Amino acid sequence: MQTVLVVDDEFGVAEVLQSILEDEGYRVVTAINGKQALARLSEFTPDLIMLDYMMPIMDGTQTLTAIRNEPAFARIPIIMMSSLEEVSVRETCTGYNTFLRKPFRAMAVVKLVEQLLAQASGK
Amino acid sequence: MDKQDEVSQPTGLERIATGVPGLDEVLKGGFYEGAVYIVRGTPGAGKTILANQICFHHARQGKRALFVTLLAESHARMLQHLEQMSFYDAQMIPKFVYYISAFRVLEENGLKGMMDLLRREMRAHDATILILDGLIAVEETSTSDREFRKFIHELQAHAAAAGCCTLLLTNGRRGEYHPEHTMVDGLITLEDMPYGKRRIRELEVRKFRGSASLRGRHPFQITDGGLVVHPRPESRFQRNTDNGRTDRLSTGVEPLDKMTGGGLMAGSSTLLLGPSGSGKTTLGTAFLQRSSKAEPGLHFGFYESPERLIANASLLGIDLQSRVAAGHLEVLWRPTVERILDSLGNELIEAVRRRKVRRLFIDGWGGFAAAAESHERLSPFFAALANELRSLGVNTVCAIETENLIGPELHLPIDGVSAMSENMIVLRYAEYHTRLYRLLSIMKVRGGGFDSTLREFRIDSDGLQLADSFQGAESMLSGFGKERPRKRAAKTKQGRRAGAGRRSRT
Repeated sequence: MQTVLVVDDEFGVAEVLQSILEDEGYRVVTAINGKQALARLSEFTPDLIMLDYMMPIMDGTQTLTAIRNEPAFARIPIIMMSSLEEVSVRETCTGYNTFLRKPFRAMAVVKLVEQLLAQASGK
Repeated sequence: MDKQDEVSQPTGLERIATGVPGLDEVLKGGFYEGAVYIVRGTPGAGKTILANQICFHHARQGKRALFVTLLAESHARMLQHLEQMSFYDAQMIPKFVYYISAFRVLEENGLKGMMDLLRREMRAHDATILILDGLIAVEETSTSDREFRKFIHELQAHAAAAGCCTLLLTNGRRGEYHPEHTMVDGLITLEDMPYGKRRIRELEVRKFRGSASLRGRHPFQITDGGLVVHPRPESRFQRNTDNGRTDRLSTGVEPLDKMTGGGLMAGSSTLLLGPSGSGKTTLGTAFLQRSSKAEPGLHFGFYESPERLIANASLLGIDLQSRVAAGHLEVLWRPTVERILDSLGNELIEAVRRRKVRRLFIDGWGGFAAAAESHERLSPFFAALANELRSLGVNTVCAIETENLIGPELHLPIDGVSAMSENMIVLRYAEYHTRLYRLLSIMKVRGGGFDSTLREFRIDSDGLQLADSFQGAESMLSGFGKERPRKRAAKTKQGRRAGAGRRSRT
């Protein structure tokens, strides 16, 4: 079973993503900020990370940098999520694999996760 | 403390302008840095839009705002809605306006965890405005009123230390008394009030430490540009300065100038009373025809479009077009559809100030009355406007439609109006010799010395005429004039003489 780490501070977002992905057969672990996400990464290595851009304590950009600086996690596919347009996010944040704008549709999430995991496994 | 009392401003505290049209005037300069305010309102009242509008205004000054949500609209949905607003600027996010959710922290770590988060994030983002949207969630999480009050108290201390102005958004679910209201620096309520079949949004500053504020409920609208507050003219315009001028202005009708003893006293207000079609607009436009560079004019009307007004005046030989073209006259038309009285009053004063208007014709009072949420407001509203216009040195002519078309009685649609104006000119209809005439009479002129004769007021292609058509008539003001019986009058005169003679002989 493939594991997805969902990192989002907003109540409701992580819960919805967890339901959508669990229905598709994924295992989902959640964190409410970057600091908590890094703590989770010390316990296991996910197959994919969904990361919110704006969060308290440690935001998406800081978290992404920390993840990419760690060789063990450098190749994990990351979906950056935000209510902003990607063009705004890209000004301060690079290094993610793809972008998901909120609010999102369940089908779009599933499709994006499938695509990214397929690419990562070289299919 | 009554906020209309003059309160000296605390020294050393900076004001933070909200950028919300009208609100900074209500707050007499904006919020204070480092202070904590509660913004209370029912769902849909506009709290979230107001808070975002303030954040983006702050951001445009190069300062930073932190928006923290609890159990509120999702960020994604909120930003989607904000995208429709002209104040929204995605470029400001995340550097100048930063959104986070604190609900999970509140759930997992309680009020203490929440306070730690706010304190840390305020510092991390160098925020000088903090919005906490959903205070009710904090209250519901707290185990006692005491714990909740401690949270507010601690937040005040941190906000003051960080110089961060904090707005706590909450709904009005509980009763009127909230212990936290006594603790914070200010309380602002947003309400959506029903008036008959209409609803009007109203903002009220219920408490504001450190400064006076404009008292009472001020209407506001939610527009594409965000909130627009219309400060209540009665609270806004409180001066009544006599300009001290004694010169006179032409009414635009030469015979009327003679009747008034040389025209209207400068800086005075004149009521033109009369039923529909009696000539009020015609007299008003004649007054405006004298607009000039030295005496800029303004037509503030509700019923006729500028084009129609100018064309109708032209048919009577009154040339408004050239005055408008020369920039000496402005015609503002405000059709009477779901208007806000306060907005109309403020627009009028703004237009007067903008062009330093000296000749103002309001056509007519009924436009204001139609916008009023209650009849009781009209009298104080009129007094506030009249005082401000007088203080600005404006010569105001205001048309007021009387209720009865014909007859001896004069029903005014507003109480106490005559006491607030210096001059009153009355137009009536009267039947005389099987013909309907327009009558003009002067009831009051500041400084006295006016001609009280009833005149026929003719409007035809030769313009406006005042004629002595009723020298042999009586009872014209009853609406049904008749020939004065000369013989009886002579007989009565003789009889009186005879009576006087008899008395003198006894």
